Amino acid sequence: MIKVIADQVVETDGTIDSTRAIIATDALMDILGWELKDEGLCRDELCVPAERATLETDGKLDLAAVARTLGRPSILDPETNAIAIGAPATDRSAALKDRVAPNFSLTDIDGVSRSLADYAGKKRLLVAFSSW
Amino acid sequence: MIAVAIDEDLEAIRGHSEGITYPVLMDPEHNLTELYAISNVPTVVWIDENGRIARPNASEFGTDMFVEYTGRPREGHFNQLRAWVRDDLVPADADTEIEDLSQDEIDARLHFKLAATARHSGDDAGATRHFAKAIELAPFDFTISRAAMPLQGEDPFGEKFMALMQQWVDEGAPFHGIVPPRS
Repeated sequence: MIKVIADQVVETDGTIDSTRAIIATDALMDILGWELKDEGLCRDELCVPAERATLETDGKLDLAAVARTLGRPSILDPETNAIAIGAPATDRSAALKDRVAPNFSLTDIDGVSRSLADYAGKKRLLVAFSSW
Repeated sequence: MIAVAIDEDLEAIRGHSEGITYPVLMDPEHNLTELYAISNVPTVVWIDENGRIARPNASEFGTDMFVEYTGRPREGHFNQLRAWVRDDLVPADADTEIEDLSQDEIDARLHFKLAATARHSGDDAGATRHFAKAIELAPFDFTISRAAMPLQGEDPFGEKFMALMQQWVDEGAPFHGIVPPRS
Protein backbone atom coordinates (compact mmCIF):
# COMPACT_ATOMS: atom_id res chain seq x y z
CA MET A 1 0.00 0.00 0.00
CA ILE A 2 1.10 3.55 -0.69
CA LYS A 3 -0.20 6.83 0.66
CA VAL A 4 -1.28 9.52 -1.76
CA ILE A 5 -1.49 12.93 -0.10
CA ALA A 6 -3.44 15.12 -2.47
CA ASP A 7 -6.87 16.66 -1.94
CA GLN A 8 -7.26 14.10 0.84
CA VAL A 9 -4.94 11.38 2.15
CA VAL A 10 -5.80 8.12 0.37
CA GLU A 11 -4.22 4.67 0.71
CA THR A 12 -4.10 2.55 -2.41
CA ASP A 13 -2.29 -0.50 -3.80
CA GLY A 14 0.91 0.52 -5.52
CA THR A 15 4.66 0.99 -5.41
CA ILE A 16 6.86 4.05 -5.13
CA ASP A 17 10.46 4.60 -6.19
CA SER A 18 12.45 7.79 -6.61
CA THR A 19 10.84 8.72 -9.93
CA ARG A 20 7.48 7.01 -10.18
CA ALA A 21 4.37 6.16 -8.13
CA ILE A 22 2.65 3.21 -9.78
CA ILE A 23 -1.04 2.62 -9.08
CA ALA A 24 -3.90 0.79 -10.77
CA THR A 25 -5.34 2.99 -13.53
CA ASP A 26 -8.89 2.57 -12.24
CA ALA A 27 -7.91 3.96 -8.81
CA LEU A 28 -7.19 7.40 -10.30
CA MET A 29 -10.77 8.64 -10.14
CA ASP A 30 -11.03 8.04 -6.38
CA ILE A 31 -7.65 9.63 -5.74
CA LEU A 32 -7.64 12.73 -7.92
CA GLY A 33 -11.10 12.86 -9.53
CA TRP A 34 -9.66 12.41 -13.03
CA GLU A 35 -10.04 9.52 -15.47
CA LEU A 36 -7.58 8.26 -18.09
CA LYS A 37 -9.16 8.09 -21.54
CA ASP A 38 -7.73 7.77 -25.04
CA GLU A 39 -7.81 11.57 -25.45
CA GLY A 40 -5.99 12.20 -22.16
CA LEU A 41 -6.90 12.90 -18.55
CA CYS A 42 -10.56 13.83 -18.23
CA ARG A 43 -12.85 15.24 -15.59
CA ASP A 44 -16.47 15.79 -16.59
CA GLU A 45 -16.32 17.53 -19.99
CA LEU A 46 -12.74 18.73 -19.58
CA CYS A 47 -9.80 16.74 -20.97
CA VAL A 48 -6.09 17.49 -20.66
CA PRO A 49 -4.47 15.98 -23.77
CA ALA A 50 -1.88 13.29 -23.01
CA GLU A 51 -0.43 10.29 -24.78
CA ARG A 52 -1.88 7.34 -22.90
CA ALA A 53 1.41 5.42 -23.30
CA THR A 54 3.38 8.15 -21.48
CA LEU A 55 1.22 7.68 -18.37
CA GLU A 56 0.17 4.02 -18.43
CA THR A 57 1.85 0.62 -18.84
CA ASP A 58 -0.05 -2.69 -18.56
CA GLY A 59 -3.05 -1.18 -16.80
CA LYS A 60 -0.80 0.59 -14.28
CA LEU A 61 -0.43 4.32 -14.06
CA ASP A 62 2.43 6.57 -12.99
CA LEU A 63 0.85 9.08 -10.63
CA ALA A 64 3.92 11.36 -10.75
CA ALA A 65 3.50 11.65 -14.53
CA VAL A 66 -0.22 12.31 -14.07
CA ALA A 67 0.59 15.13 -11.63
CA ARG A 68 3.04 16.66 -14.13
CA THR A 69 0.44 16.46 -16.89
CA LEU A 70 -2.07 18.27 -14.69
CA GLY A 71 0.47 20.97 -13.78
CA ARG A 72 0.56 19.85 -10.16
CA PRO A 73 3.85 19.64 -8.22
CA SER A 74 4.67 16.37 -6.45
CA ILE A 75 7.31 14.83 -4.22
CA LEU A 76 7.90 11.10 -3.93
CA ASP A 77 9.16 9.46 -0.77
CA PRO A 78 10.08 5.77 -1.23
CA GLU A 79 11.05 5.56 2.48
CA THR A 80 7.56 6.28 3.78
CA ASN A 81 5.87 4.95 0.62
CA ALA A 82 4.11 8.23 0.08
CA ILE A 83 3.60 10.80 -2.65
CA ALA A 84 2.46 14.35 -1.90
CA ILE A 85 0.72 16.17 -4.75
CA GLY A 86 0.16 19.92 -4.56
CA ALA A 87 -2.36 22.27 -6.14
CA PRO A 88 -2.11 23.27 -9.81
CA ALA A 89 0.23 26.26 -10.11
CA THR A 90 -2.33 27.85 -12.45
CA ASP A 91 -4.91 27.98 -9.63
CA ARG A 92 -2.54 30.08 -7.55
CA SER A 93 -1.46 32.32 -10.46
CA ALA A 94 -5.17 32.93 -11.16
CA ALA A 95 -5.40 34.24 -7.62
CA LEU A 96 -2.23 36.32 -7.69
CA LYS A 97 -2.34 37.74 -11.23
CA ASP A 98 -5.96 37.58 -12.40
CA ARG A 99 -7.53 38.08 -8.96
CA VAL A 100 -9.80 35.07 -9.30
CA ALA A 101 -10.29 33.59 -5.81
CA PRO A 102 -9.59 29.84 -6.06
CA ASN A 103 -12.37 27.74 -4.58
CA PHE A 104 -11.55 25.31 -1.76
CA SER A 105 -13.48 22.86 0.39
CA LEU A 106 -12.61 22.17 4.02
CA THR A 107 -14.36 20.72 7.04
CA ASP A 108 -15.56 23.09 9.74
CA ILE A 109 -15.02 22.53 13.47
CA ASP A 110 -18.33 20.66 13.64
CA GLY A 111 -17.32 18.29 10.84
CA VAL A 112 -19.45 19.92 8.11
CA SER A 113 -17.83 20.28 4.68
CA ARG A 114 -17.87 23.88 3.46
CA SER A 115 -16.61 25.62 0.33
CA LEU A 116 -15.75 29.20 -0.47
CA ALA A 117 -18.33 28.89 -3.26
CA ASP A 118 -21.09 28.21 -0.69
CA TYR A 119 -20.98 31.94 0.03
CA ALA A 120 -20.95 33.12 -3.61
CA GLY A 121 -22.81 36.36 -4.26
CA LYS A 122 -21.66 37.85 -0.96
CA LYS A 123 -18.61 39.82 0.04
CA ARG A 124 -16.31 37.47 1.94
CA LEU A 125 -13.51 38.19 4.39
CA LEU A 126 -11.23 35.18 4.36
CA VAL A 127 -9.09 35.00 7.51
CA ALA A 128 -6.23 32.50 7.86
CA PHE A 129 -5.34 32.04 11.53
CA SER A 130 -3.90 29.37 13.83
CA SER A 131 -3.29 28.33 17.42
CA TRP A 132 0.50 28.35 16.96
CA MET B 1 -16.47 36.12 7.28
CA ILE B 2 -14.82 32.73 6.83
CA ALA B 3 -12.04 31.76 9.21
CA VAL B 4 -9.60 29.03 8.19
CA ALA B 5 -7.33 27.49 10.83
CA ILE B 6 -3.95 26.54 9.33
CA ASP B 7 -3.78 24.00 12.06
CA GLU B 8 -4.57 20.42 13.01
CA ASP B 9 -5.34 21.05 16.69
CA LEU B 10 -9.15 20.90 16.63
CA GLU B 11 -9.53 21.32 20.39
CA ALA B 12 -7.37 24.45 20.47
CA ILE B 13 -9.30 25.95 17.56
CA ARG B 14 -12.63 25.09 19.20
CA GLY B 15 -11.34 26.95 22.27
CA HIS B 16 -10.67 30.03 20.10
CA SER B 17 -14.09 29.75 18.45
CA GLU B 18 -16.54 29.81 21.36
CA GLY B 19 -19.48 32.08 20.70
CA ILE B 20 -18.41 32.68 17.10
CA THR B 21 -21.24 32.51 14.55
CA TYR B 22 -19.27 32.56 11.28
CA PRO B 23 -17.81 29.35 9.82
CA VAL B 24 -14.46 28.20 11.21
CA LEU B 25 -12.78 25.69 8.90
CA MET B 26 -9.88 23.37 9.63
CA ASP B 27 -6.97 23.14 7.15
CA PRO B 28 -4.57 20.60 8.68
CA GLU B 29 -2.96 19.92 5.26
CA HIS B 30 -2.31 23.64 4.66
CA ASN B 31 -4.11 23.56 1.31
CA LEU B 32 -5.05 27.24 1.60
CA THR B 33 -1.46 28.40 2.07
CA GLU B 34 -0.56 26.83 -1.26
CA LEU B 35 -3.60 28.11 -3.18
CA TYR B 36 -3.29 31.70 -1.94
CA ALA B 37 0.49 31.89 -1.31
CA ILE B 38 -0.01 32.51 2.41
CA SER B 39 3.19 32.55 4.47
CA ASN B 40 2.05 33.64 7.93
CA VAL B 41 -1.01 34.20 10.06
CA PRO B 42 -3.07 36.20 10.39
CA THR B 43 -3.50 36.79 6.67
CA VAL B 44 -6.77 38.23 5.40
CA VAL B 45 -8.13 38.26 1.82
CA TRP B 46 -11.10 40.32 0.65
CA ILE B 47 -13.23 38.44 -1.90
CA ASP B 48 -16.12 40.24 -3.62
CA GLU B 49 -19.58 39.08 -4.70
CA ASN B 50 -18.22 37.84 -8.05
CA GLY B 51 -15.43 35.76 -6.56
CA ARG B 52 -12.76 38.30 -7.42
CA ILE B 53 -10.05 39.21 -4.95
CA ALA B 54 -10.80 42.81 -4.03
CA ARG B 55 -7.75 43.14 -1.76
CA PRO B 56 -5.13 40.38 -1.69
CA ASN B 57 -3.23 38.81 1.22
CA ALA B 58 -2.68 41.33 3.99
CA SER B 59 -1.40 41.18 7.54
CA GLU B 60 -4.37 42.40 9.60
CA PHE B 61 -5.20 41.53 13.19
CA GLY B 62 -8.70 40.96 14.59
CA THR B 63 -7.70 42.11 18.07
CA ASP B 64 -5.29 44.66 19.51
CA MET B 65 -3.40 42.01 21.46
CA PHE B 66 -0.25 42.57 19.36
CA VAL B 67 -0.72 46.28 18.68
CA GLU B 68 2.54 47.27 20.39
CA TYR B 69 4.38 45.03 17.97
CA THR B 70 2.37 45.81 14.81
CA GLY B 71 1.84 49.51 15.50
CA ARG B 72 -1.57 49.21 13.82
CA PRO B 73 -4.77 49.17 15.91
CA ARG B 74 -7.39 46.88 14.38
CA GLU B 75 -9.79 49.79 13.92
CA GLY B 76 -7.95 50.96 10.78
CA HIS B 77 -8.66 47.69 9.00
CA PHE B 78 -12.21 47.59 10.36
CA ASN B 79 -12.88 51.07 8.92
CA GLN B 80 -11.50 50.00 5.54
CA LEU B 81 -13.73 46.93 5.64
CA ARG B 82 -16.80 49.02 6.44
CA ALA B 83 -16.08 51.33 3.48
CA TRP B 84 -15.72 48.30 1.22
CA VAL B 85 -18.89 46.59 2.43
CA ARG B 86 -21.00 49.77 2.30
CA ASP B 87 -19.61 51.64 -0.67
CA ASP B 88 -17.30 49.23 -2.55
CA LEU B 89 -14.32 51.44 -1.69
CA VAL B 90 -10.95 49.69 -1.53
CA PRO B 91 -7.70 51.10 -0.12
CA ALA B 92 -4.91 52.15 -2.48
CA ASP B 93 -2.83 49.08 -1.54
CA ALA B 94 -5.53 46.76 -2.96
CA ASP B 95 -3.69 46.82 -6.34
CA THR B 96 -0.60 45.19 -4.83
CA GLU B 97 0.45 42.05 -6.66
CA ILE B 98 1.45 39.31 -4.25
CA GLU B 99 4.65 37.49 -5.13
CA ASP B 100 4.12 33.87 -6.18
CA LEU B 101 5.57 31.03 -4.14
CA SER B 102 9.07 29.95 -5.14
CA GLN B 103 9.72 26.32 -6.10
CA ASP B 104 11.36 25.87 -2.69
CA GLU B 105 8.25 27.22 -0.96
CA ILE B 106 6.04 24.86 -3.00
CA ASP B 107 8.29 21.89 -2.21
CA ALA B 108 8.36 22.88 1.47
CA ARG B 109 4.57 22.59 1.54
CA LEU B 110 4.76 19.10 0.03
CA HIS B 111 7.39 18.02 2.58
CA PHE B 112 5.18 19.46 5.34
CA LYS B 113 2.29 17.28 4.11
CA LEU B 114 4.57 14.21 4.02
CA ALA B 115 5.77 15.02 7.55
CA ALA B 116 2.27 15.49 8.97
CA THR B 117 1.09 12.24 7.35
CA ALA B 118 4.12 10.29 8.62
CA ARG B 119 3.52 11.70 12.10
CA HIS B 120 -0.10 10.55 12.05
CA SER B 121 0.95 7.04 11.15
CA GLY B 122 3.41 6.96 14.07
CA ASP B 123 6.51 7.26 11.88
CA ASP B 124 8.42 9.82 13.97
CA ALA B 125 11.67 9.44 12.02
CA GLY B 126 9.88 10.08 8.72
CA ALA B 127 8.09 13.06 10.22
CA THR B 128 11.32 14.56 11.60
CA ARG B 129 13.09 14.12 8.27
CA HIS B 130 10.34 15.82 6.25
CA PHE B 131 9.77 18.64 8.77
CA ALA B 132 13.53 19.35 8.66
CA LYS B 133 13.52 19.41 4.85
CA ALA B 134 10.45 21.69 4.75
CA ILE B 135 12.05 24.15 7.19
CA GLU B 136 15.35 24.05 5.28
CA LEU B 137 13.48 24.99 2.07
CA ALA B 138 11.31 27.75 3.59
CA PRO B 139 12.77 28.84 6.94
CA PHE B 140 10.93 32.19 6.99
CA ASP B 141 7.54 30.83 6.04
CA PHE B 142 5.82 30.66 9.43
CA THR B 143 3.15 28.28 8.11
CA ILE B 144 6.07 25.86 7.77
CA SER B 145 8.69 26.65 10.40
CA ARG B 146 6.43 27.81 13.23
CA ALA B 147 3.51 25.49 12.45
CA ALA B 148 5.93 22.55 12.72
CA MET B 149 6.90 23.48 16.29
CA PRO B 150 3.86 22.10 18.19
CA LEU B 151 3.88 19.04 15.91
CA GLN B 152 7.43 18.33 17.07
CA GLY B 153 6.80 18.90 20.76
CA GLU B 154 8.19 22.45 20.71
CA ASP B 155 6.63 25.62 22.12
CA PRO B 156 5.52 27.92 19.25
CA PHE B 157 5.75 30.87 21.68
CA GLY B 158 9.10 29.84 23.19
CA GLU B 159 12.75 30.74 22.74
CA LYS B 160 13.04 28.95 19.40
CA PHE B 161 10.22 31.09 18.04
CA MET B 162 11.82 34.27 19.40
CA ALA B 163 15.09 33.35 17.66
CA LEU B 164 13.19 32.65 14.43
CA MET B 165 11.46 36.05 14.67
CA GLN B 166 14.82 37.80 15.02
CA GLN B 167 16.28 35.96 12.02
CA TRP B 168 13.15 36.77 10.02
CA VAL B 169 13.42 40.48 10.88
CA ASP B 170 17.13 40.40 9.97
CA GLU B 171 16.13 38.96 6.58
CA GLY B 172 13.86 41.95 5.96
CA ALA B 173 10.68 40.31 7.28
CA PRO B 174 9.66 38.51 4.06
CA PHE B 175 5.88 38.05 3.78
CA HIS B 176 3.59 37.09 0.90
CA GLY B 177 1.21 39.96 1.32
CA ILE B 178 0.58 43.59 2.18
CA VAL B 179 1.96 44.90 5.46
CA PRO B 180 0.28 48.29 5.99
CA PRO B 181 2.46 50.99 7.53
CA ARG B 182 2.34 51.67 11.26
CA SER B 183 -0.37 54.19 12.01
